[in-house]
Amino acid sequence: MKAIGRYVLHRRVSLLTILALLATWQIAGYLSPTSALRGSPIVPPFEFIFGPALLGMSDYWHYEALAPVPSLGGERTWRGAFLALGYHSALTLWRIVTGFVLGAVVGTVLGLLVARSPIARALFALPLHLLRMIPLLATIPLFQFWFGATNMSAIIFVAYGVGVVYFAGTINAVANIPPRYIEYARTLGASEWRIFRAIIFPAILPELFSSVMLTLGLAWSAVIGAEYIGVDSGIGRMIIWAEFFSNTGRMALVTILLMIYAGMSYFLFRRIAAKVLSWMPSSASGGKSL
Amino acid sequence: MSTGVSIEVRGASCRFRHVSGNTIDALAGVDVSFAPGEFVCLVGRSGHGKSTLLRAIAGLTPLTEGVVRVGGERVQGPSLQRGMVFQDDTVFPWMRVIDNVAFGLRNKGLTRSQAASVANEWLESVELADFSDSWPRELSGGMRKRVAIATVFATEAPLLLMDEPFGALDFVTRLSLYGLLTDLWRKTGRTIIFVTHDIEEALILADRILVIKDGGIADDLRVSLPRPRDEDMRASPEAVAITKTITRHLGLAELLNRRSGETQL
Repeated sequence: MKAIGRYVLHRRVSLLTILALLATWQIAGYLSPTSALRGSPIVPPFEFIFGPALLGMSDYWHYEALAPVPSLGGERTWRGAFLALGYHSALTLWRIVTGFVLGAVVGTVLGLLVARSPIARALFALPLHLLRMIPLLATIPLFQFWFGATNMSAIIFVAYGVGVVYFAGTINAVANIPPRYIEYARTLGASEWRIFRAIIFPAILPELFSSVMLTLGLAWSAVIGAEYIGVDSGIGRMIIWAEFFSNTGRMALVTILLMIYAGMSYFLFRRIAAKVLSWMPSSASGGKSL
Repeated sequence: MSTGVSIEVRGASCRFRHVSGNTIDALAGVDVSFAPGEFVCLVGRSGHGKSTLLRAIAGLTPLTEGVVRVGGERVQGPSLQRGMVFQDDTVFPWMRVIDNVAFGLRNKGLTRSQAASVANEWLESVELADFSDSWPRELSGGMRKRVAIATVFATEAPLLLMDEPFGALDFVTRLSLYGLLTDLWRKTGRTIIFVTHDIEEALILADRILVIKDGGIADDLRVSLPRPRDEDMRASPEAVAITKTITRHLGLAELLNRRSGETQL
């Protein structure tokens, strides 16, 4: 009971911290000067972010059939703002989901293949570590040179960033499986394929799920990075458009949106992990931060 | 129910290369036979080859020289014909209890429902019928051992190899597992080879005790104590004599009366 009481107390204290941060932001918004260029406050207060800044997002809407297009002389509309945010969010989400799944699957499968062969492990281990030394964002221009500033380029880039982690994570996880499980399975007549499917795969799942938690943040950085530097659409690109005219409110708005998306993706995976890993002893399946 | 099988070990040697470059003879030319349905315990000090002999019979550790034949067939790798219970907990934590017991049966080619019904029968024999849908983490160490026992018995392997299976359990839990194991053994007539470092455990379980020393068989002792065995058996002249023989082989006197200069404090 004491532990629960302490937990609730910690929760309340963190909530207070968040409220204090929000209040500080708001006060800073009132105290800071307004940029002369666009009439944007340097630190935009919340009523500005969810008011004029949000409405201003309709500037990025370009299909007249669904809402007026400000760049063609139409007026700014809430409908246009939400359509623009929705459209670019959908593009970014498509890139991150496809890239993530592609990278996770390819990385894990390659990792499994390499992990089961000592020769392959010796061949790939060092180059892999070297590859991981390269800061991910530094490789964006090269990827865009190879694949163009396209959807595909962003997807491949996310897949690469995520895949390298899964590749290494899988090799590590397979090496960590206690050999007794595999020996036991053999004495019970399991074929190589069955050992793969019924022993090795479930045994590495906990580590794969911690890779998910690790790579979610990475994937978000990768997709936003790809949109910053090249791909001319998506929610990351919206920040660059806003920055071009010092639209601080819009930058803050998109950042808040990203925070919500990333938070939702973490929450979703935590739920899935808790379900899939329900066999794990105590805390690991419950809510232990992975 | 299937019955036991005979085992023949001829000239079995097993040499390991140590990291230091030295070689170690874990088994040095072992010759031994086991009759169908025998319950044999291998006792000896750690590092003298008990587990290596067991693993060689299982097909998990390849021999450098010699041959192991089980039921006339040469052992070349692990097989469903030779069930193994390990000292460490090997019950798969990611499978429910019922799926653990059914694992070997599925490998045998039984359908999911066939395997489940056989597995359920065996869970009943080890008194875990109510836990078939539990996760192993929800069971105690002793209960997980019963799952492992049910799993190897369920496959109908005529030979069961046990490598200090109860080593990590408390005394009372061990006693109840001795009862369970001897009961299942009597009912099914499997051949069981059981590694232990505990002389009392060997006296409770075995028909025959092999003393393993320096990678070879130092003694081969018959245990004709009546079953079921009880407290009186522990004090019987035969039990005392066997204990004395084994402790002599283990070098009890030397171990207890080492000169003070040899003891590093």
